[in-house]
Amino acid sequence: MARREREAPVTAEFRAGSMRELGGALAFVDQVCAGVEADTALAVRLAIEEAFTNIYKHGYAGGEGPVAVRVDVAPRQIVAILVDEAPAFDPTDAPAPDLDSPWDQRRAGGLGCHLLRQMMDEVKYARRERGNVLTLLKTRA
Amino acid sequence: MNVEFDTHGNVSVVVISGSVDGLTAGDLLSRLQGFVAEGNLLLVANLAGVEYTSSAGLRALLATVKQARRGGGDLRLACINTHVRKVLELSGFTTIMKLFDSVDAAVASYAVSVGP
Repeated sequence: MARREREAPVTAEFRAGSMRELGGALAFVDQVCAGVEADTALAVRLAIEEAFTNIYKHGYAGGEGPVAVRVDVAPRQIVAILVDEAPAFDPTDAPAPDLDSPWDQRRAGGLGCHLLRQMMDEVKYARRERGNVLTLLKTRA
Repeated sequence: MNVEFDTHGNVSVVVISGSVDGLTAGDLLSRLQGFVAEGNLLLVANLAGVEYTSSAGLRALLATVKQARRGGGDLRLACINTHVRKVLELSGFTTIMKLFDSVDAAVASYAVSVGP
């Protein structure tokens, strides 16, 4: 922790206009989290992938629209903020996934929001006049 | 992401490496489904080279395990990294899929039993 405390915080932003830019968004996360311990970086990558995908799939209903992904890497925590202009979609309020059915009845729906919530230490959703703000917080080990 | 198929007797080992995410999971699913459709029903996925999966990868695994089991076979997982194991556990997949520490153990498990 001592060495990490001396690291300067890193803040960066990526702006997307469609789901096709998921690759750019993931490459951006990998770059910003390059110095972060692997387990934490992978958890943040997963949460951002699931949030980004859900914004386009549910918020923009398969269409296009702006999404800004901002990531702050600090010595003790990582905060990611996704801002869009889509109709309301709250991943913290999404239905629970099916985790118990036998294999032949198991469905994969809802796993993205579930993993997002499980992998982060805090997930906050806010509805703004023109869109949604999703804040993801991960404490560093 | 890279996918390679390798046979060990009557068991097929699928060696997957790289990131299984929303960009690559569709390709993984179509390759696995094509392979199962050719009659390769006893499958082992070697995940040693997979550091990352999202829910997109889980959807590909679930669709493939259902397809293989409905044909009388199975898809079993071997050499699972920390992050991938955590994603499988959080998603309840460890209760429906068989997981092994090595490819050899997963291949050998078919000599004992086939099916879920």
